[in-house]
Amino acid sequence: MHSVEKVLAARGLVAKTGPRFSGDRPMVKRNKNWKQIILFLLPVLTLFLLYFVYPLIFVFVTSFTEWNGISAMQFKGLGNYKRLFLSDTFRLSFRNNILWALVLGLVQIPLAAGMAMVLARKPRGWKTFRTIYFLPNVISQVALAMMWLAVYNAEYGMLNGLLNSVGLEQLTHNWLGEYETAFPAVIFQQLFYIGYFMIVILASRMGIPESFYEAAEIDGANVLQQEAHITIPMLRGILVTTMTLAMAFGMRHFESTYLMTNGGPAHQTSVMGIVLYRNLEALRFGEANAIGTILIVTGGVVIALLRWFFGRKASASETVQ
Amino acid sequence: MKKSINRSGSHIAIQAAAKTGKWFYILFFLVITFLPLVWLVISSFKTNFEFETQAFALPKVWMWSNYKNAMSMAGLPRLFMNSIIVAASTTIVNTLVASMGAFAIARETFRFQNLLLNIIVAGVLIPIIALMVPFFKLVNGFGIYDTLFGLIVTYSAINIPISVFLIHGFMGSIPRELEEAAVIDGCSFSQRFSKIVFPLTKPGLVTAGTFVFIFCWNEFIYAMLLTSSEVSRTLQLGIRFFRSQFVVDYTSMLAAIVITMIPTILVYVFLHDRIISGLTSGAVKG
Amino acid sequence: MKTWKILALLLILALTVPGFLLAQSAAETGETVLKWPTIWVGEDSKAGEVERLVMEFNTLNEGKYQVDIEANPDYDGYRTKINAQVAANAVPDLFVFNPDPTSFSYYEGDRLMDFADELAGDWGKVFVGGAIGDATINGETKSIPYEIGVTPIWYNEALMVKAGVTEYPETIDDFWKVADKLKAAGIVPTSQMTGGTNAWTSMLWFSHIAMSIGGPKVWDKPITDPVFEKAAEILLKMYSDGNTTKDAVGGDAGVSGGHYLAGRTAMFINGPWYIGRVRGEAPDVYENTKIASLPAAGDYPGGQIGFALSNLAAGATDNAAKKGGVLAFMKWMTEPENVKAISMDSGAMFAVKFQTGAGDAVDPLQKKFTDAVNDASFVGTHFATVYPSDVVAEFGQALAKMALGRATPAEFLQQIKSVID
Repeated sequence: MHSVEKVLAARGLVAKTGPRFSGDRPMVKRNKNWKQIILFLLPVLTLFLLYFVYPLIFVFVTSFTEWNGISAMQFKGLGNYKRLFLSDTFRLSFRNNILWALVLGLVQIPLAAGMAMVLARKPRGWKTFRTIYFLPNVISQVALAMMWLAVYNAEYGMLNGLLNSVGLEQLTHNWLGEYETAFPAVIFQQLFYIGYFMIVILASRMGIPESFYEAAEIDGANVLQQEAHITIPMLRGILVTTMTLAMAFGMRHFESTYLMTNGGPAHQTSVMGIVLYRNLEALRFGEANAIGTILIVTGGVVIALLRWFFGRKASASETVQ
Repeated sequence: MKKSINRSGSHIAIQAAAKTGKWFYILFFLVITFLPLVWLVISSFKTNFEFETQAFALPKVWMWSNYKNAMSMAGLPRLFMNSIIVAASTTIVNTLVASMGAFAIARETFRFQNLLLNIIVAGVLIPIIALMVPFFKLVNGFGIYDTLFGLIVTYSAINIPISVFLIHGFMGSIPRELEEAAVIDGCSFSQRFSKIVFPLTKPGLVTAGTFVFIFCWNEFIYAMLLTSSEVSRTLQLGIRFFRSQFVVDYTSMLAAIVITMIPTILVYVFLHDRIISGLTSGAVKG
Repeated sequence: MKTWKILALLLILALTVPGFLLAQSAAETGETVLKWPTIWVGEDSKAGEVERLVMEFNTLNEGKYQVDIEANPDYDGYRTKINAQVAANAVPDLFVFNPDPTSFSYYEGDRLMDFADELAGDWGKVFVGGAIGDATINGETKSIPYEIGVTPIWYNEALMVKAGVTEYPETIDDFWKVADKLKAAGIVPTSQMTGGTNAWTSMLWFSHIAMSIGGPKVWDKPITDPVFEKAAEILLKMYSDGNTTKDAVGGDAGVSGGHYLAGRTAMFINGPWYIGRVRGEAPDVYENTKIASLPAAGDYPGGQIGFALSNLAAGATDNAAKKGGVLAFMKWMTEPENVKAISMDSGAMFAVKFQTGAGDAVDPLQKKFTDAVNDASFVGTHFATVYPSDVVAEFGQALAKMALGRATPAEFLQQIKSVID
């Protein structure tokens, strides 16, 4: 939700917030501004058609073929899809992507929102914290992966070193090399890099007028109650937005896993992006593009479900009020 | 923290617990996010032998020569220049194009607008590595292979879904009444955009712009795919010069990474912070 | 209105400034310019001599041909890019590739230049026997064999002595006894890794073992053959009972090489390109490193692994001048004197024959590599040159599964086979 709106609402300047989508309004026969609308949409649509629609048609069409990029394509029907769903590796990767999406959406975003709420109350040094939390987003993934490889290493790693020094030898692991620990370790590495989402949420949070909290304070609401009854409802829009983005990132997750484990051991940390990349490398464009198609379709479904769920819940809660 | 003017004991206990929890929370994240940076800087002063054998020890001798190696990276000023041009141009082109599109979708009514929005936003899901061959064909076909322009257009396009998504979200919540008043005052369509909606969407633009800038600064695969000569090489390609087929000069590479990080940190600290604080104070004024 | 104008100005600037900066490129001289994207730049040991040779070529052919190096030091990235360029039918004028079944599919269609006719003449005689045959498919030689790799066993003699071992083991049974002595002295016997794109070190161990049991032609057999199962059993043992480091599962080349450099492991496998690293960073280890073949695991002892590491290739063209330039450059790069210059300077080995005289300074460890090949009872290739890249990637994944006790050697091979099918 946007700050200005809240301020205006608070001052009674607007009776009701504007509709989230103008499509909610009754359909006008033809918008009198149609020329300008087209003009405004032209740049974005041109780029989108060239860089998304055309390539995606290419991806979609070739996903039904066997093609190495050099010889003529051979139509295979659903052969690539069938092969993928029969493959243990792909099914595992698919599951891992769903887990990534859930963890990023349902754990990372609450962590980021929590931090935004804490920092919005301006504890000592909050500006410094805000900057530091963001720094990992600036460091290249290559450098981050190098460090975490060293943290998790079984021979000289820092994590095992810590455990040994506090007498917990039995808890040491070859973190990225064991079935039980590899996937959690890879997720853990990304989970706490909340910087970007935290900044986005914090920007919105700072827009909520201080007077709301002061009023609640006088009514005797404690900090947690204030957050639950003022912040969370007012940030609903931005929370759904960031959650959607985080889940999308989870579905197409690739880079840090590729850099740290390349999907190993025995595909335990594999994700669809890694299988896709491996097929590209082997010049199996048909199968790679089938994965691309699956990824987009399932991601779309996950996100549509999320928006539908929150949209419904939101309207339900509004009627309760 | 505001002074508490409450009397109930349980209330105070909750406040105290929240306070402890808060500092624990802050410290935990401080450690986990600050650690990589410290490690990165320390490692960049080691020898490769130390780096590979004692990943967490301090270097015996601080190897300033790594920084000398990194600074002597072929054409470093040019690489910096190229990265800045690409990242800055892309950020401007992308946020402008995306905000115009988002404005038309968010503030006007026309057939299939929601469908259009959903299609564009679904682009967020696309694993862009899957699109290497078509992107290469496009850029090569337009004759912009190995140009900064080609990179700018490609990066601007790649980030359209996320920018439209973020900016649209912010625009959708601007009260319509403001615009309606402006229309009565005689504002045209494009003035509604430039005078009212665009300025009020600044948090969205900054949010999207930050993302796009960092993306461009750290992007490697397409920078490698779409350029070939020194004229259009970016920093991320330069960093790879410490790597060869079989052997990597890790610590000089880390030194190069530290050097290349500095501008992004500065951009973030100065620009972003300034804009964000400007925003919140501006918002209160209405 | 002001904002609007500023924005428009910014947009125009953002789009045109980079354009102006580029206007300076491409000064026309009437020369035929050949672009050569290459990985032999930057830190690569061959970079210096390759650059010198290109410059010399350009001077010799001034006004006629000019080769421009387009540096791309990131090996994986380079390969990805060449794949995309070949698939987009925009093959570079000149390039390098790593010959394996995946990259040999570049030969399909008419995208690469065929050198078969030219190589049939005198030019073909500069190459070592069999090299051209290996680069020929259906009578077409669409790449020039160039750099070759040799990957014998490296061992640290000082660590062996410390453990009371005086002789490098003759057979695999002796090998296990040596391993036990090393462990008793607190030394890890072997460097291994399942990570990276191809589990490099362990893939080479496996290839050595398989050839020791089945001979150099072992790769003609199906992967589920009992020979490979036996080899897998031995490799599994190398992963068990502390015969390798704890981080071997999931470890990459930095892990396996790092342990050898640090003197933690006694035996390791890699090519001569790693010598410079050892000499520079671990002089003690360098002094004590010896080169050997695998202790006999079967009926074919004393073999070595030698393989085509990089071939030179060129995009097909109808332009006669370009074609002439490519041929001239290929001949220049494969001239024995020039190859010798690169080899002497970098330690790399080539598929081109050249004479070394007494006056030529060769790194002593380097020389051991050459000797190892010359003394070998046979020279065979390794797993990753035989199978396409997705099968090679599966090797490391399946190996991790076996090493963690979740697959038997037979299941390990079965898993690799499932990707071959």
